[in-house]
Amino acid sequence: MRLPLLVAGLVAIATASMLADRRAQSEGTRDLPPWASPLLDLVVPLQKAIALPIDFVRHSWNGYIDLVDVGEENAQLEQRIHALEEENLQLREALVAGGRLARIAEMRADFEVPMLPAQLVGSDVSPFFRSVLVDRGRSQGVRSGMPVISEEGVVGLVTATSERASRTTLLLDRQTAIDGTVQRSRTRGIVRGRGSDVVEFEFVSRGADVAVGDVVITSGLDGVYPKGLRVGSVAAVAEADAGLLRAATLVPAVDFGRLEQAFVILRRGPSMELLYRTEGGDGEAQTAAAGSGPAK
Amino acid sequence: MKRVSALAGLAFAALVLQAAVARIVPPQWCPDLGLLVVIGLGLGMRKAATGVALAALVGYLSDLLSGSLLGQHMLLRMVAFAAARIGSRQLNLRGRAPLAIFAAGLSAGYGLALWAIVAFFARAAHPPLPAVGDFVAQAVVNGLLGPIVAPAVAWLSLTLGDEEGARLMRLEPRKFPA
Repeated sequence: MRLPLLVAGLVAIATASMLADRRAQSEGTRDLPPWASPLLDLVVPLQKAIALPIDFVRHSWNGYIDLVDVGEENAQLEQRIHALEEENLQLREALVAGGRLARIAEMRADFEVPMLPAQLVGSDVSPFFRSVLVDRGRSQGVRSGMPVISEEGVVGLVTATSERASRTTLLLDRQTAIDGTVQRSRTRGIVRGRGSDVVEFEFVSRGADVAVGDVVITSGLDGVYPKGLRVGSVAAVAEADAGLLRAATLVPAVDFGRLEQAFVILRRGPSMELLYRTEGGDGEAQTAAAGSGPAK
Repeated sequence: MKRVSALAGLAFAALVLQAAVARIVPPQWCPDLGLLVVIGLGLGMRKAATGVALAALVGYLSDLLSGSLLGQHMLLRMVAFAAARIGSRQLNLRGRAPLAIFAAGLSAGYGLALWAIVAFFARAAHPPLPAVGDFVAQAVVNGLLGPIVAPAVAWLSLTLGDEEGARLMRLEPRKFPA
Protein backbone atom coordinates (compact mmCIF):
# COMPACT_ATOMS: atom_id res chain seq x y z
CA MET A 1 0.00 0.00 0.00
CA ARG A 2 2.91 2.27 0.81
CA LEU A 3 4.55 1.90 -2.60
CA PRO A 4 1.53 2.86 -4.75
CA LEU A 5 0.96 5.91 -2.57
CA LEU A 6 4.60 6.94 -2.84
CA VAL A 7 4.64 6.46 -6.61
CA ALA A 8 1.38 8.36 -7.03
CA GLY A 9 2.72 11.18 -4.88
CA LEU A 10 6.00 11.41 -6.80
CA VAL A 11 4.24 11.30 -10.16
CA ALA A 12 1.89 14.06 -9.00
CA ILE A 13 4.87 16.17 -7.87
CA ALA A 14 6.64 15.63 -11.19
CA THR A 15 3.55 16.52 -13.22
CA ALA A 16 2.80 19.59 -11.11
CA SER A 17 6.43 20.70 -11.44
CA MET A 18 6.26 20.40 -15.23
CA LEU A 19 3.04 22.37 -15.44
CA ALA A 20 4.31 25.08 -13.12
CA ASP A 21 7.62 25.27 -14.96
CA ARG A 22 5.93 25.50 -18.34
CA ARG A 23 3.78 28.33 -17.06
CA ALA A 24 6.76 30.13 -15.56
CA GLN A 25 8.65 29.70 -18.84
CA SER A 26 5.92 31.30 -20.87
CA GLU A 27 5.64 34.16 -18.38
CA GLY A 28 9.37 34.76 -18.30
CA THR A 29 9.49 34.38 -14.52
CA ARG A 30 11.39 31.16 -14.28
CA ASP A 31 13.39 31.42 -11.09
CA LEU A 32 14.18 28.12 -9.45
CA PRO A 33 12.18 27.20 -6.34
CA PRO A 34 13.86 27.98 -2.99
CA TRP A 35 14.65 24.34 -2.24
CA ALA A 36 16.30 23.77 -5.64
CA SER A 37 18.34 26.95 -5.76
CA PRO A 38 21.00 25.90 -3.17
CA LEU A 39 21.57 22.63 -5.05
CA LEU A 40 22.42 24.49 -8.23
CA ASP A 41 24.63 26.89 -6.26
CA LEU A 42 26.43 23.86 -4.85
CA VAL A 43 27.02 22.43 -8.30
CA VAL A 44 28.84 25.48 -9.68
CA PRO A 45 32.01 25.33 -7.54
CA LEU A 46 32.14 21.56 -7.95
CA GLN A 47 31.93 21.82 -11.70
CA LYS A 48 34.51 24.57 -11.74
CA ALA A 49 36.85 22.26 -9.85
CA ILE A 50 36.20 19.39 -12.24
CA ALA A 51 36.51 21.68 -15.25
CA LEU A 52 39.98 22.92 -14.21
CA PRO A 53 41.95 19.87 -15.39
CA ILE A 54 39.67 19.49 -18.42
CA ASP A 55 40.25 23.10 -19.43
CA PHE A 56 43.96 22.76 -18.75
CA VAL A 57 44.22 19.80 -21.13
CA ARG A 58 42.11 21.55 -23.73
CA HIS A 59 44.11 24.78 -23.53
CA SER A 60 47.35 22.86 -23.70
CA TRP A 61 46.15 20.99 -26.76
CA ASN A 62 44.79 24.04 -28.55
CA GLY A 63 47.58 26.40 -27.50
CA TYR A 64 50.68 24.27 -27.73
CA ILE A 65 50.09 21.06 -29.64
CA ASP A 66 47.40 21.50 -32.26
CA LEU A 67 49.16 24.34 -34.11
CA VAL A 68 49.55 22.76 -37.51
CA ASP A 69 47.58 25.33 -39.50
CA VAL A 70 48.26 28.37 -37.34
CA GLY A 71 50.89 29.97 -39.62
CA GLU A 72 48.68 29.79 -42.67
CA GLU A 73 45.64 30.95 -40.70
CA ASN A 74 47.63 33.87 -39.30
CA ALA A 75 48.58 35.06 -42.76
CA GLN A 76 44.96 34.83 -43.90
CA LEU A 77 43.78 36.77 -40.86
CA GLU A 78 46.36 39.50 -41.40
CA GLN A 79 45.13 39.90 -44.97
CA ARG A 80 41.58 40.05 -43.72
CA ILE A 81 42.43 42.68 -41.10
CA HIS A 82 44.02 44.87 -43.77
CA ALA A 83 40.94 44.51 -45.95
CA LEU A 84 38.61 45.33 -43.07
CA GLU A 85 40.69 48.32 -41.99
CA GLU A 86 40.48 49.65 -45.49
CA GLU A 87 36.74 49.10 -45.60
CA ASN A 88 36.31 50.69 -42.17
CA LEU A 89 38.22 53.75 -43.29
CA GLN A 90 36.05 54.16 -46.36
CA LEU A 91 32.86 53.80 -44.33
CA ARG A 92 34.03 56.37 -41.79
CA GLU A 93 34.85 58.76 -44.58
CA ALA A 94 31.38 58.28 -46.00
CA LEU A 95 29.80 58.94 -42.59
CA VAL A 96 31.88 62.03 -41.95
CA ALA A 97 30.97 63.31 -45.37
CA GLY A 98 27.30 62.86 -44.52
CA GLY A 99 27.74 64.59 -41.15
CA ARG A 100 26.31 61.59 -39.36
CA LEU A 101 29.27 60.34 -37.36
CA ALA A 102 28.76 62.70 -34.41
CA ARG A 103 25.06 61.87 -34.24
CA ILE A 104 25.79 58.14 -34.27
CA ALA A 105 28.32 58.60 -31.45
CA GLU A 106 25.63 60.34 -29.38
CA MET A 107 23.10 57.61 -30.08
CA ARG A 108 25.55 54.87 -29.22
CA ALA A 109 25.69 55.98 -25.60
CA ASP A 110 21.94 55.44 -25.39
CA PHE A 111 22.19 51.89 -26.70
CA GLU A 112 25.03 50.74 -24.49
CA VAL A 113 23.81 48.20 -22.01
CA PRO A 114 25.56 46.84 -18.93
CA MET A 115 27.02 43.41 -19.56
CA LEU A 116 28.20 40.91 -17.01
CA PRO A 117 30.97 38.46 -17.88
CA ALA A 118 30.08 34.91 -16.96
CA GLN A 119 31.96 31.64 -17.08
CA LEU A 120 30.39 28.51 -18.51
CA VAL A 121 30.88 25.76 -15.96
CA GLY A 122 28.86 22.85 -17.28
CA SER A 123 26.82 21.60 -20.18
CA ASP A 124 23.42 19.98 -20.25
CA VAL A 125 23.31 16.52 -18.71
CA SER A 126 20.79 15.45 -21.31
CA PRO A 127 21.94 15.18 -24.93
CA PHE A 128 18.46 16.09 -26.13
CA PHE A 129 18.61 19.62 -24.72
CA ARG A 130 21.23 22.27 -25.34
CA SER A 131 21.83 24.48 -22.35
CA VAL A 132 24.77 25.52 -20.20
CA LEU A 133 25.24 26.43 -16.57
CA VAL A 134 26.92 29.78 -15.91
CA ASP A 135 28.42 31.04 -12.67
CA ARG A 136 26.31 34.18 -12.31
CA GLY A 137 22.92 34.33 -10.68
CA ARG A 138 20.32 36.53 -9.06
CA SER A 139 22.79 38.03 -6.60
CA GLN A 140 24.67 39.53 -9.55
CA GLY A 141 21.50 40.87 -11.15
CA VAL A 142 20.88 38.04 -13.62
CA ARG A 143 17.21 37.28 -14.31
CA SER A 144 15.33 34.90 -16.58
CA GLY A 145 14.82 36.36 -20.03
CA MET A 146 18.16 38.15 -20.27
CA PRO A 147 20.09 37.55 -23.49
CA VAL A 148 23.55 36.00 -23.37
CA ILE A 149 26.11 36.84 -26.03
CA SER A 150 29.77 36.41 -26.74
CA GLU A 151 32.13 38.51 -28.82
CA GLU A 152 31.16 36.28 -31.76
CA GLY A 153 27.39 36.64 -31.52
CA VAL A 154 24.23 35.26 -29.91
CA VAL A 155 24.72 32.51 -27.34
CA GLY A 156 21.23 32.10 -25.91
CA LEU A 157 18.81 33.19 -23.25
CA VAL A 158 18.82 32.87 -19.46
CA THR A 159 15.96 30.52 -18.64
CA ALA A 160 16.44 29.70 -14.96
CA THR A 161 18.28 31.39 -12.14
CA SER A 162 19.41 30.58 -8.64
CA GLU A 163 21.21 32.85 -6.20
CA ARG A 164 24.69 32.33 -7.65
CA ALA A 165 24.13 30.43 -10.89
CA SER A 166 21.87 30.41 -13.88
CA ARG A 167 21.05 28.20 -16.79
CA THR A 168 21.21 29.49 -20.33
CA THR A 169 19.30 27.78 -23.10
CA LEU A 170 21.51 27.90 -26.16
CA LEU A 171 20.62 29.07 -29.64
CA LEU A 172 21.02 25.42 -30.70
CA ASP A 173 18.21 24.11 -28.48
CA ARG A 174 15.05 22.86 -30.17
CA GLN A 175 12.93 25.23 -28.09
CA THR A 176 14.80 28.35 -29.21
CA ALA A 177 13.37 30.78 -31.77
CA ILE A 178 14.82 34.20 -32.65
CA ASP A 179 13.62 36.82 -35.09
CA GLY A 180 16.44 37.33 -37.59
CA THR A 181 17.30 39.36 -40.66
CA VAL A 182 19.66 38.70 -43.51
CA GLN A 183 22.15 41.55 -43.24
CA ARG A 184 22.59 41.98 -47.00
CA SER A 185 19.04 41.74 -48.31
CA ARG A 186 17.07 42.51 -45.10
CA THR A 187 14.99 39.36 -45.61
CA ARG A 188 13.33 38.55 -42.31
CA GLY A 189 12.72 35.14 -40.83
CA ILE A 190 12.80 32.98 -37.74
CA VAL A 191 15.96 31.26 -36.56
CA ARG A 192 15.16 27.96 -34.87
CA GLY A 193 17.45 25.59 -33.02
CA ARG A 194 17.47 21.99 -34.20
CA GLY A 195 19.31 20.37 -31.34
CA SER A 196 22.37 19.89 -33.56
CA ASP A 197 25.37 22.08 -34.32
CA VAL A 198 23.51 24.04 -37.00
CA VAL A 199 20.29 26.05 -36.84
CA GLU A 200 17.47 26.68 -39.26
CA PHE A 201 16.43 30.01 -40.76
CA GLU A 202 12.83 29.92 -41.89
CA PHE A 203 11.61 32.72 -44.13
CA VAL A 204 8.74 33.57 -46.44
CA SER A 205 9.61 32.31 -49.88
CA ARG A 206 8.04 35.05 -51.96
CA GLY A 207 10.46 37.85 -52.80
CA ALA A 208 13.11 36.48 -50.47
CA ASP A 209 16.76 36.94 -51.28
CA VAL A 210 18.89 34.55 -49.27
CA ALA A 211 22.15 33.14 -50.56
CA VAL A 212 24.91 30.94 -49.22
CA GLY A 213 27.38 33.03 -47.24
CA ASP A 214 24.84 35.64 -46.14
CA VAL A 215 25.11 36.76 -42.55
CA VAL A 216 21.98 36.63 -40.41
CA ILE A 217 21.67 39.09 -37.53
CA THR A 218 19.02 39.65 -34.87
CA SER A 219 16.24 41.94 -36.03
CA GLY A 220 15.34 43.14 -32.54
CA LEU A 221 11.68 42.64 -33.39
CA ASP A 222 11.19 39.70 -31.05
CA GLY A 223 11.64 42.11 -28.17
CA VAL A 224 14.16 39.84 -26.51
CA TYR A 225 17.49 40.23 -28.29
CA PRO A 226 18.91 43.65 -29.18
CA LYS A 227 19.10 44.42 -32.88
CA GLY A 228 22.22 43.68 -34.89
CA LEU A 229 23.76 40.75 -33.02
CA ARG A 230 25.35 38.19 -35.27
CA VAL A 231 23.46 34.88 -35.32
CA GLY A 232 25.19 32.90 -38.04
CA SER A 233 25.93 32.57 -41.72
CA VAL A 234 23.95 30.72 -44.37
CA ALA A 235 25.48 27.37 -45.29
CA ALA A 236 22.71 26.02 -47.51
CA VAL A 237 19.35 27.15 -48.84
CA ALA A 238 16.53 24.73 -49.55
CA GLU A 239 15.17 24.65 -53.09
CA ALA A 240 12.09 26.79 -53.64
CA ASP A 241 8.90 24.78 -53.96
CA ALA A 242 5.21 25.55 -53.97
CA GLY A 243 5.15 26.16 -50.21
CA LEU A 244 4.92 29.52 -48.54
CA LEU A 245 7.98 29.04 -46.38
CA ARG A 246 11.55 28.12 -47.20
CA ALA A 247 14.38 27.22 -44.92
CA ALA A 248 18.09 27.80 -44.91
CA THR A 249 20.71 26.13 -42.78
CA LEU A 250 22.84 28.46 -40.69
CA VAL A 251 26.20 27.83 -39.12
CA PRO A 252 26.08 29.71 -35.79
CA ALA A 253 28.49 32.60 -35.39
CA VAL A 254 29.47 31.28 -31.97
CA ASP A 255 31.65 28.20 -31.78
CA PHE A 256 29.76 26.48 -28.98
CA GLY A 257 32.33 23.71 -28.73
CA ARG A 258 34.98 26.18 -27.60
CA LEU A 259 32.83 28.64 -25.74
CA GLU A 260 34.11 29.24 -22.21
CA GLN A 261 33.05 32.77 -21.40
CA ALA A 262 30.01 34.80 -22.32
CA PHE A 263 28.31 38.05 -21.36
CA VAL A 264 24.86 38.40 -19.85
CA ILE A 265 23.11 41.53 -21.06
CA LEU A 266 21.68 42.89 -17.83
CA ARG A 267 18.54 44.17 -19.41
CA ARG A 268 15.57 42.17 -20.50
CA GLY A 269 14.05 42.98 -23.84
CA PRO A 270 10.79 44.96 -23.97
CA SER A 271 8.70 41.78 -24.45
CA MET A 272 10.08 40.18 -21.32
CA GLU A 273 9.53 43.37 -19.33
CA LEU A 274 5.99 43.51 -20.59
CA LEU A 275 5.37 39.94 -19.46
CA TYR A 276 6.71 40.79 -16.02
CA ARG A 277 4.44 43.77 -15.76
CA THR A 278 1.22 42.22 -17.01
CA GLU A 279 1.31 38.57 -16.06
CA GLY A 280 2.67 38.65 -12.56
CA GLY A 281 6.12 37.72 -11.34
CA ASP A 282 7.52 38.63 -7.99
CA GLY A 283 7.37 42.11 -6.56
CA GLU A 284 11.04 42.71 -7.03
CA ALA A 285 10.79 41.96 -10.72
CA GLN A 286 7.81 44.24 -11.14
CA THR A 287 9.52 47.06 -9.33
CA ALA A 288 12.66 46.60 -11.38
CA ALA A 289 10.63 46.63 -14.56
CA ALA A 290 8.74 49.73 -13.56
CA GLY A 291 11.93 51.54 -12.65
CA SER A 292 13.92 50.58 -15.70
CA GLY A 293 14.37 53.12 -18.39
CA PRO A 294 16.86 53.04 -21.20
CA ALA A 295 19.93 51.37 -19.78
CA LYS A 296 23.06 53.43 -19.75
CA MET B 1 19.96 5.31 5.58
CA LYS B 2 23.69 4.96 5.03
CA ARG B 3 23.06 3.15 1.76
CA VAL B 4 20.49 5.67 0.56
CA SER B 5 22.79 8.61 1.35
CA ALA B 6 25.73 6.95 -0.36
CA LEU B 7 23.71 6.16 -3.48
CA ALA B 8 22.24 9.68 -3.60
CA GLY B 9 25.76 11.09 -3.25
CA LEU B 10 26.99 8.79 -6.01
CA ALA B 11 24.18 9.89 -8.32
CA PHE B 12 24.90 13.56 -7.60
CA ALA B 13 28.61 13.08 -8.27
CA ALA B 14 27.82 11.22 -11.50
CA LEU B 15 25.63 14.06 -12.76
CA VAL B 16 28.16 16.77 -11.87
CA LEU B 17 30.88 14.78 -13.62
CA GLN B 18 28.64 14.23 -16.62
CA ALA B 19 27.87 17.95 -16.93
CA ALA B 20 31.59 18.76 -16.82
CA VAL B 21 32.51 16.08 -19.34
CA ALA B 22 29.70 17.18 -21.65
CA ARG B 23 31.70 20.34 -22.35
CA ILE B 24 34.31 18.40 -24.27
CA VAL B 25 32.33 15.49 -25.67
CA PRO B 26 29.69 15.92 -28.41
CA PRO B 27 26.28 15.80 -26.64
CA GLN B 28 25.00 12.71 -28.39
CA TRP B 29 28.15 10.79 -27.44
CA CYS B 30 28.06 11.85 -23.81
CA PRO B 31 26.81 8.95 -21.64
CA ASP B 32 23.70 9.48 -19.56
CA LEU B 33 25.21 8.48 -16.26
CA GLY B 34 22.03 9.40 -14.38
CA LEU B 35 20.06 6.90 -16.42
CA LEU B 36 22.69 4.20 -15.93
CA VAL B 37 22.66 4.79 -12.17
CA VAL B 38 18.88 4.42 -12.19
CA ILE B 39 19.15 1.18 -14.17
CA GLY B 40 21.63 -0.05 -11.55
CA LEU B 41 19.16 0.85 -8.82
CA GLY B 42 16.41 -1.02 -10.65
CA LEU B 43 18.62 -4.08 -10.87
CA GLY B 44 20.02 -4.00 -7.35
CA MET B 45 17.61 -2.42 -4.92
CA ARG B 46 15.40 -4.74 -2.97
CA LYS B 47 13.00 -2.17 -1.60
CA ALA B 48 11.11 -0.70 -4.49
CA ALA B 49 9.98 2.29 -2.43
CA THR B 50 13.55 3.34 -1.66
CA GLY B 51 14.59 2.73 -5.25
CA VAL B 52 11.80 4.76 -6.79
CA ALA B 53 12.43 7.63 -4.36
CA LEU B 54 16.13 7.60 -5.29
CA ALA B 55 15.24 7.48 -8.99
CA ALA B 56 12.99 10.51 -8.53
CA LEU B 57 15.78 12.33 -6.72
CA VAL B 58 18.26 11.55 -9.50
CA GLY B 59 15.66 12.77 -11.99
CA TYR B 60 15.09 16.02 -10.16
CA LEU B 61 18.83 16.67 -10.01
CA SER B 62 19.00 15.97 -13.74
CA ASP B 63 16.22 18.49 -14.29
CA LEU B 64 18.23 21.12 -12.44
CA LEU B 65 21.25 20.50 -14.66
CA SER B 66 19.32 20.26 -17.90
CA GLY B 67 17.25 22.48 -20.15
CA SER B 68 14.24 20.24 -19.62
CA LEU B 69 11.12 21.16 -17.72
CA LEU B 70 11.44 20.66 -13.98
CA GLY B 71 9.89 17.26 -13.31
CA GLN B 72 10.46 15.83 -16.77
CA HIS B 73 13.51 13.73 -15.95
CA MET B 74 12.03 13.02 -12.53
CA LEU B 75 9.02 11.33 -14.09
CA LEU B 76 11.01 9.45 -16.70
CA ARG B 77 13.71 8.25 -14.29
CA MET B 78 10.96 6.64 -12.23
CA VAL B 79 9.66 4.94 -15.37
CA ALA B 80 13.22 3.83 -16.18
CA PHE B 81 13.58 2.42 -12.66
CA ALA B 82 10.35 0.46 -13.07
CA ALA B 83 11.47 -0.80 -16.47
CA ALA B 84 14.83 -1.94 -15.07
CA ARG B 85 13.18 -3.61 -12.09
CA ILE B 86 10.66 -5.44 -14.23
CA GLY B 87 13.37 -6.24 -16.76
CA SER B 88 15.57 -7.81 -14.09
CA ARG B 89 12.70 -10.07 -13.07
CA GLN B 90 11.38 -11.02 -16.48
CA LEU B 91 14.57 -11.14 -18.53
CA ASN B 92 17.82 -12.95 -18.14
CA LEU B 93 20.30 -10.10 -17.94
CA ARG B 94 23.25 -12.35 -17.25
CA GLY B 95 26.39 -11.25 -19.02
CA ARG B 96 27.43 -8.01 -20.60
CA ALA B 97 25.66 -8.33 -23.92
CA PRO B 98 22.09 -8.65 -22.59
CA LEU B 99 22.66 -5.81 -20.16
CA ALA B 100 24.18 -3.66 -22.90
CA ILE B 101 21.22 -4.32 -25.19
CA PHE B 102 18.81 -3.58 -22.35
CA ALA B 103 20.57 -0.27 -21.48
CA ALA B 104 20.72 0.72 -25.16
CA GLY B 105 17.03 0.03 -25.70
CA LEU B 106 16.02 1.87 -22.57
CA SER B 107 18.23 4.79 -23.55
CA ALA B 108 16.58 5.11 -26.97
CA GLY B 109 13.11 4.89 -25.45
CA TYR B 110 14.08 7.47 -22.86
CA GLY B 111 15.15 9.97 -25.53
CA LEU B 112 11.93 9.49 -27.43
CA ALA B 113 9.86 9.98 -24.28
CA LEU B 114 11.76 13.19 -23.47
CA TRP B 115 10.96 14.59 -26.89
CA ALA B 116 7.31 13.50 -26.61
CA ILE B 117 6.87 15.41 -23.35
CA VAL B 118 8.50 18.55 -24.78
CA ALA B 119 6.28 18.29 -27.86
CA PHE B 120 3.21 17.82 -25.64
CA PHE B 121 3.95 20.97 -23.66
CA ALA B 122 5.04 23.08 -26.64
CA ARG B 123 2.41 25.71 -27.33
CA ALA B 124 3.36 26.63 -30.88
CA ALA B 125 5.14 24.47 -33.42
CA HIS B 126 6.41 21.13 -32.18
CA PRO B 127 10.15 20.99 -31.73
CA PRO B 128 11.87 18.86 -34.37
CA LEU B 129 12.39 15.21 -33.50
CA PRO B 130 16.03 14.44 -32.75
CA ALA B 131 17.90 12.80 -35.59
CA VAL B 132 17.97 9.01 -35.65
CA GLY B 133 21.74 9.27 -35.40
CA ASP B 134 21.43 11.00 -32.03
CA PHE B 135 19.27 8.18 -30.67
CA VAL B 136 21.66 5.59 -32.04
CA ALA B 137 24.73 7.35 -30.64
CA GLN B 138 23.13 7.63 -27.21
CA ALA B 139 22.03 4.01 -27.30
CA VAL B 140 25.52 2.87 -28.30
CA VAL B 141 27.39 4.85 -25.67
CA ASN B 142 24.93 3.94 -22.91
CA GLY B 143 24.93 0.35 -24.09
CA LEU B 144 28.72 0.27 -23.84
CA LEU B 145 28.83 1.80 -20.38
CA GLY B 146 25.68 0.14 -19.06
CA PRO B 147 27.35 -3.19 -18.23
CA ILE B 148 29.99 -1.31 -16.23
CA VAL B 149 28.02 1.38 -14.39
CA ALA B 150 24.76 -0.43 -13.66
CA PRO B 151 26.32 -3.54 -12.02
CA ALA B 152 28.67 -1.24 -10.07
CA VAL B 153 25.68 0.63 -8.64
CA ALA B 154 23.89 -2.66 -7.97
CA TRP B 155 27.03 -3.98 -6.27
CA LEU B 156 27.29 -0.81 -4.17
CA SER B 157 23.72 -1.17 -3.02
CA LEU B 158 24.53 -4.76 -2.04
CA THR B 159 27.79 -3.90 -0.29
CA LEU B 160 26.29 -1.08 1.69
CA GLY B 161 23.13 -3.07 2.24
CA ASP B 162 23.46 -3.50 5.97
CA GLU B 163 19.71 -3.66 6.09
CA GLU B 164 17.59 -5.94 3.96
CA GLY B 165 17.46 -3.30 1.25
CA ALA B 166 19.53 -4.93 -1.42
CA ARG B 167 18.78 -7.94 -3.50
CA LEU B 168 20.87 -10.03 -5.79
CA MET B 169 20.48 -9.46 -9.47
CA ARG B 170 19.06 -12.41 -11.30
CA LEU B 171 22.21 -13.56 -12.94
CA GLU B 172 21.60 -17.28 -13.11
CA PRO B 173 19.25 -18.75 -15.69
CA ARG B 174 16.14 -20.38 -14.32
CA LYS B 175 16.36 -24.08 -13.71
CA PHE B 176 13.36 -26.17 -14.50
CA PRO B 177 12.84 -29.70 -13.20
CA ALA B 178 13.65 -32.39 -15.71
